[in-house]
Amino acid sequence: MTTISPTLSHRPAENQGDNPSPLLPPMRLAIIGGGRGGTALLDALHQIGTIAIIGIADKNPSAPGLRRAQELHVPIYDQVSDLITHQQPSLVLDVTGDPTMRSVLQELVPPGTDIVDGQTSRLLWLLIQHETTLQTELLHAEKLAGIGSFAAGIAHDINNPLQLILGLAENLTDETDLEAVHLQAKDIIEAVKRTTAICRDLTSYSRRASLRPDGLISVNGKLDEALKIARYAVALQDIEIRKHYQPDVVVKGNPDQLLHVFVNLITNAVQAMEHRGTLTLETASGSGTTQVRVSDTGSGIAPELLNRIFDPFFTTKPPGKGTGLGLYNIKNVIHHMHGTIGVDSQVGHGSTFTLTFPEDPGQDPERARP
Amino acid sequence: MSEFKSGFFVGGESCNGRILIVDDEADIRKVVRMTLHKAGYDVLEAENGEKAIEVINSGENRLLLDVIICDIRMPKVNGIEAIAYFRQNYPRVPLIVLTGFPDTDMATSLLRQGVVDYLVKPVEGEKLKASVARAMEQRELAHL
Repeated sequence: MTTISPTLSHRPAENQGDNPSPLLPPMRLAIIGGGRGGTALLDALHQIGTIAIIGIADKNPSAPGLRRAQELHVPIYDQVSDLITHQQPSLVLDVTGDPTMRSVLQELVPPGTDIVDGQTSRLLWLLIQHETTLQTELLHAEKLAGIGSFAAGIAHDINNPLQLILGLAENLTDETDLEAVHLQAKDIIEAVKRTTAICRDLTSYSRRASLRPDGLISVNGKLDEALKIARYAVALQDIEIRKHYQPDVVVKGNPDQLLHVFVNLITNAVQAMEHRGTLTLETASGSGTTQVRVSDTGSGIAPELLNRIFDPFFTTKPPGKGTGLGLYNIKNVIHHMHGTIGVDSQVGHGSTFTLTFPEDPGQDPERARP
Repeated sequence: MSEFKSGFFVGGESCNGRILIVDDEADIRKVVRMTLHKAGYDVLEAENGEKAIEVINSGENRLLLDVIICDIRMPKVNGIEAIAYFRQNYPRVPLIVLTGFPDTDMATSLLRQGVVDYLVKPVEGEKLKASVARAMEQRELAHL
């Protein structure tokens, strides 16, 4: 059994070999200001392995950046001076927009500590906003590319009720038994309802992920929804589906993006089994984390490929069958949710993808350590 | 009462032939049965390829089954596997594919294997009956 540990696999910098030098100590970054800019920078920069965010300061205790820092276990301060003197940053990023802050910082920071503020910090924020937009677009483009593979499933699910409707309607043209007419008309109505449900599912899935703030998502419900969507992409008739759900498991994130993650994982799992085998979906919560596992009894992943599966454009599928962006996008969504993704795989026996999320710290503020 | 039809003695009145419809959707089997029954055919049903193989191998069906109408996307033994079995073991029984998914490559391949028709749902009753009639002609020719 070959394993990629979640902690290794969730660090893009380490995976992609773009660490400038393993000899350089991590940059010790302090963020001043917990508004939208500070939150966006915190979100983006904490994913980079060579940057250690050593704290964030804001006088406003309800600033969104402080809440996010709590979720990420980044120390929070209400006084800039406490942050600087306790944590000894090597770089201070001031996103307060307050013109008097520079002189305050210059008095506090030790020699050799850089300060980035004003237009420069705004430029950084704009770049990060741009990258976030690009990632969202990439996710959407990959999802739309995947919907192409739904054609067979959609055709099956629409043409079957249409066959029923046509057959019954033809029969009704010369049906004289009133009771039969009544029953067949009811069957037609039910078939139309089934067809409209397909369109509703797919238009909902294909829409752009909403930009609303992250909320609590029922994981079990989302997995069931993903199964409904995945059956358009892959035939599930010969797949034994086992669900081991712990009740009421929730995670915080974007529901549309999490649905896309689950659809991708289920689709990959079924394709790995060549449409015959056992798909196991598990959820569990406790000890400060929430876990979701998607397991298959398929072909497994060769150990030499395991380190590359989260890389962009890496695919083992035949040309035209995969974009190579599925797992890459999954990894990005999971990072955004402050989670990790890992895989255990054994060639010829199957794979298990494990997603691990922090339990919503908003429900338990004690866990956010300073 | 029995009558002589298609080279076989078939029980029941005005039976134009015995057809097996193989489809995992009960609704599809129902409407195909309804349409063909009105046209005077005796219709048997199977919900997947595995059941279809059981049906064709049971009792008098070995001899009396005239035409098989088969879906492609089905559980257990799918349409492609079932058709391969029928071609191998019952080469004289004509096959009609009735599928929800139009796939040109698959249609070409199946027609090359001797499938009489590749029909894409929804198919009108008249077209289905015409296709079955062609298959019946082929069935009768096979017994000359």
